[in-house]
Amino acid sequence: MTISQSSVVDTVRGLVDKQLNLSAHGFELALDDDLWSLGMTSLTCMGLMLAIEDTFEIELPEEALQEATFRTVNTITAAVGAARPMSETKV
Amino acid sequence: MSTGHANGVAPPTQADVVIVGNGALGLFLADELAERQAGSVVVVGPSDRDAGASQAAGAMLGCFGEATTESLRTDASRKRFELGVTAHDRWPGVIERLEPYSTTGSPLLVTPETHVVLNSIGAELDTVNFHAMLKALDEYGKPWAEIDPKEIPAYRPRPDTRALRAVHLPAEGAVDARGVLAALESRLRAAGTTLVDSTVRKLIRNNGEVTGVELADGHVIEAGSVVVAAGAHSEALVKTALDDLDTVPMFPGLGFAMLARRTGGEKFRSVVRTPNRGFACGLHVVPGPGDLEYYGATNRLVDKISSVTWMADVRFLAQYSMQQLDERVAAHEVVRWLSGNRPVTLDGFPLIGWLPVSGLYLMTGTYRDGFHCAPLIAEHVANELQGKEGTIDPMFKPTRAPIETRTIEWSINEYVEHNLAAWFEPGAEAAPQMTTQQIADYYRTMAVRFYDTVGIDYGLGPDILWYAQGSLLGARRVTRYFNRLKANAGAQPVGAGAKEA
Repeated sequence: MTISQSSVVDTVRGLVDKQLNLSAHGFELALDDDLWSLGMTSLTCMGLMLAIEDTFEIELPEEALQEATFRTVNTITAAVGAARPMSETKV
Repeated sequence: MSTGHANGVAPPTQADVVIVGNGALGLFLADELAERQAGSVVVVGPSDRDAGASQAAGAMLGCFGEATTESLRTDASRKRFELGVTAHDRWPGVIERLEPYSTTGSPLLVTPETHVVLNSIGAELDTVNFHAMLKALDEYGKPWAEIDPKEIPAYRPRPDTRALRAVHLPAEGAVDARGVLAALESRLRAAGTTLVDSTVRKLIRNNGEVTGVELADGHVIEAGSVVVAAGAHSEALVKTALDDLDTVPMFPGLGFAMLARRTGGEKFRSVVRTPNRGFACGLHVVPGPGDLEYYGATNRLVDKISSVTWMADVRFLAQYSMQQLDERVAAHEVVRWLSGNRPVTLDGFPLIGWLPVSGLYLMTGTYRDGFHCAPLIAEHVANELQGKEGTIDPMFKPTRAPIETRTIEWSINEYVEHNLAAWFEPGAEAAPQMTTQQIADYYRTMAVRFYDTVGIDYGLGPDILWYAQGSLLGARRVTRYFNRLKANAGAQPVGAGAKEA
């Protein structure tokens, strides 16, 4: 997959926005906003993780499956960049 | 003969059968094969059995004491329950066979009886499971008698958690798990079975056949057949030979228990236990061996196998043993902390059978009664290894799609009920204006949202649901597994369906 870094960020931001329903309430999400302070719960984080993996067709490494990875759009984007394509692995 | 790296003797280089795992399932299978003189058998497993379920087991020989509303609700769960009922009948013979090899100085059968108490510290789940147990006892014609809880030897709970009902099960006792494992090893050595004190790093596969195992230090043992009976480690081990195989996923069910020496007061002479409780096996004390008493047990599904103990579990077990069983427990001397990982499958049923590569057999997934069922399962597996007909239902074959026993709605209700039980037992109190119904609504909402988020249409058991909604790794494993099943049209969940038995 050839996706530029900026489009990864935009896609991640879009997915986060959808999970947390932010723009619908007029909130503009910054790349380093703490998502856990913006209403993210363990369940929305789970939905976000699945959406991220499905969208980018990747598998996040096990060590990335923790709260810190999903703290900001930037941390998620970094994890996406470091992940392997899903076709190489089986969860 | 016993060999192992620890004593400097090289392990053998070949065997007819290599059994990976020295817990109850592995050792009882080895014993069965030795009894049948079915060729050379090597058992590989670490002598300390670190993090294994069997070494931490309470080893109650209980099937009716374990009964819940779910036990007989579907055809599939009834078959699973009856595995325990049949296994129960094997134990008198097993104990007779093993007693001469025991070195503990105490009888292996630590008690022949159980008392089940119904107190009110839990929630409705205790009551419904208590009634389900009585119904099952009657249905199978097993003996039981209602007794005054005050008549249970040594049962001295705090007054506020005293039981108002109790039943005596004269035919359900317990064995000394660690004594039985040691006696099995002695008997196996006497029979010429080789026990190797090591772990298996990987299975060796040549083309379409598993031909042996590679130990942690690289030593190879060639084998005609390899049986993986490595409990919670089994899935990862099988993947070393069958990376593409999608067996029903397994999770470690980490549990904690304590062996403690009584320092005063009357000794327990029977198993005293509650019914099965929220996500776990209920609080219980098993008397013996000697002046020791076993207090168990917690249960929590986790991402990784370990032998850690949580402070919360220590508190849970110590506090509730004092409150609900005997106030004198406070002065007991803990002599051993036990933690082990139960092999828990996604659908709650064992995985027993040949795998789709020649020479490889799997026996695991027995959750909380592997010890009790081991002699029976060993007979079945020995038959299959010898090319004879098995003795238990083929529904447990590892290549099955997950067995369905509940609808999503049922799963959500069960999850709520288990959470309420787990809420009240630790002493949590709702704010005065809050009702139990509101707490139930909260858990219901959580469960509904979980299913909405992961998009699966399989009703999970309450323990799996609890784990998956709290673990990103767990949620991902469950979700991806069902996605792959869906993509593979031939492997939709099968079994008894949600059909009532």
